[in-house]
Amino acid sequence: MTDTTAGTLAFPRDRARPRSTSGRWHKLSTPWIYLAPALLTLIVWVYAPLLEAFQLSFYRWNMLPSSPKRFVGLDNYIDLLTLPEMHIALGNTAIYILGLFPMSVLLPLAIAIFTQNLAGRARTVYRTLIFVPMIIAPVVAAIIWRWVLNEDHGLLNEALSGLGLTRIGFLIDPDYALGTLIWITGWKLIGFSTLLFSAANGSINPSYVEAARMDGATPWQITRDIRIPLLSPTILLLSMMTILFGAQWSFTYINVLTGGGPLKSTTNIFYLLWDYGFGSHSVGWSSAAGMIAFAGFTIIALACLRLMKRHTVYDN
Amino acid sequence: MLKNFAGSIALAGAIATLSATALHAQMAAKVDKPVTITFYNYNLASASAGADATRDLIREFMALNPNITVKGVPVPSNEILSRVQADMAAGQQPDVAQLVFRDLIYIANDLGANALEDMVPKQELAAHFTGMIPQGLELGKVDGKTYGLAYTFSTPILYYNADLFRQAGLDPDKPPRTWAEVKSAGEAIRQKTGKHGFFPGAYGPVDGTFVYQAIAMSNGGQVRNGNKLTFADGEGMEAVSMLREMVDSGAHARIDVASPGDTMASGNLGMFLYTSALQSSLLKSAEGKFELRVAAMPAFGEKATRPTNSGSALFVLSQDPQKQRASYELLKFLTDRHAYTIITTKIGYLPLRLDIVDDPNYLAGWVAEHPMIRPNLEQLNRLTANVAFPGPNYRQVEKMMMDGVREAIFGKGDAVKTLQTAQTDAQRLMPR
Repeated sequence: MTDTTAGTLAFPRDRARPRSTSGRWHKLSTPWIYLAPALLTLIVWVYAPLLEAFQLSFYRWNMLPSSPKRFVGLDNYIDLLTLPEMHIALGNTAIYILGLFPMSVLLPLAIAIFTQNLAGRARTVYRTLIFVPMIIAPVVAAIIWRWVLNEDHGLLNEALSGLGLTRIGFLIDPDYALGTLIWITGWKLIGFSTLLFSAANGSINPSYVEAARMDGATPWQITRDIRIPLLSPTILLLSMMTILFGAQWSFTYINVLTGGGPLKSTTNIFYLLWDYGFGSHSVGWSSAAGMIAFAGFTIIALACLRLMKRHTVYDN
Repeated sequence: MLKNFAGSIALAGAIATLSATALHAQMAAKVDKPVTITFYNYNLASASAGADATRDLIREFMALNPNITVKGVPVPSNEILSRVQADMAAGQQPDVAQLVFRDLIYIANDLGANALEDMVPKQELAAHFTGMIPQGLELGKVDGKTYGLAYTFSTPILYYNADLFRQAGLDPDKPPRTWAEVKSAGEAIRQKTGKHGFFPGAYGPVDGTFVYQAIAMSNGGQVRNGNKLTFADGEGMEAVSMLREMVDSGAHARIDVASPGDTMASGNLGMFLYTSALQSSLLKSAEGKFELRVAAMPAFGEKATRPTNSGSALFVLSQDPQKQRASYELLKFLTDRHAYTIITTKIGYLPLRLDIVDDPNYLAGWVAEHPMIRPNLEQLNRLTANVAFPGPNYRQVEKMMMDGVREAIFGKGDAVKTLQTAQTDAQRLMPR
């Protein structure tokens, strides 16, 4: 069997009728065999755990094989939705996402466009500097930030008090902690987003820019009417990634720096579901929190995809 | 094919569920063939002298018991229970584990730890318990049976920076004895030196509840009464309100709850209430920088303090009689006079056998050189068991209590109302 399956399947039914049952089986199974590795991985790592988490969200259990799973119906969901902690976490998740936007989309977009016009080496050096935070291990970055931001002997507070300003408890004052964590998460992201934007910006056909220039367009007009529309697929992609994953990216920093505190001011839905599952072994709560997050983000993802389809400009 | 695959996953799950059995039979009389046991230990996972001392003890034990091989499994203290649980779920039954007291009831009821009374012949057990302080043995008991054999532990003591005391015009020879004195000393340090006054190691992620419970119980409070939570009632609430007043007056610092030890070590904190296990590392940091001293934990007026314990007990989890015997031999070795001498001098915990304190063969010489251990030894007489929570949601309950305590002490709202809300929320998760 060497002919391509796609071709065979495209034939009208009567002409494509196979000669024997084994041949027909072969034809039907071939695409599935090719797809099997990908499908199996998806099932084992995504869909089976998803189903299991859905099922566990209706039970009270602590993950011990020797302890019984007790069916509690919707209790886990009711408990979670009435807990003030959950409301804070959901609110914080939204703040994380909104707060990350400037650093994961706007700033990198500006950097990519401005550095585009820099000459050879300067551009490389500049972009390398911006990219460095990205390759520092998250836990290491978190610990360095902890030292820098320490209220009593941190570099930043020393500088503040040197300038005659009051010291700020960046990680221990509930009014500042969330902003601090958003900054650290965003600081790690700038490099990645800048890289994507620079690549997209570099692949814009220079003849458009040249043509516009000959017509007397100003640099701002070129940016507004040529670059930004052609960068729109990347802008929307990064926006969507920020919305869907932004709050997750902050997990390491929450875990290392604040543990969700002070006074729950930095917790979010992802930290909360990890804490329920592995901090206090409440699998039911953890799964229910996961399901709530899954449902919420599914709706958001669908909306984002629709937006992307409608508002993206492709160069072809 | 997909159906089969899902089926086999379900089957594997079912087998895992069935394979965990809990049999409580008496252990073998002796170890007559080579056996290997695992020892989950958190001192081994630390970067301090505790790891070396523990490794030495294990090595000595194996030299004395050639048939027994002990495999140390190092896990940090805040992860050790999850690790034991995960390994059990994966079918790798741990044999001996050093676990903290907050998980006591859960370990006894859900993890299937062996009660020593069921496993060890009566006389043999009684012989080993002789000389151990009864308040210590009491700590590892659930319903009258010893599941955890108290191993390394200490009570909260008040570390203070004598230099900051002098700078604030306080007398370092008269450390505060009551909370009222802590408050005025804290305010003095804050105002005159600009440094932080007082902080208890009670609110951080690895602190558990022992310092908080020691404070609350010293005022006569209780975190629970049977299955009814009482941490926001009466004297316990008064204790929390007292801490809140100290925060409002500036006597009690607002620093990173996860690292008050670092603040103390850097000389920026006047008074620090925490486990004596930190003593040797704090002394090392203070050397040449400031004078570190210790005092007993502060009292509420004339009420005697009720220090609770931090630290751990040893639990035997093995189900095989030979391994149980080997495990018990390890327990015996680690809680005997010689081991306690090492544990006290090298790791910094308390000896649970007070007869070795003045015995020149064991601790007498060391205690004479290190008088800082005295306040802690003196507190042992009033040792009060740290209260663990029951039921499948005990960790969640404990977390909600500590969240409530943090919010009541550091938050903006009314302390009483905050803690009472936490108590009502947490009560729903207690067994009925």
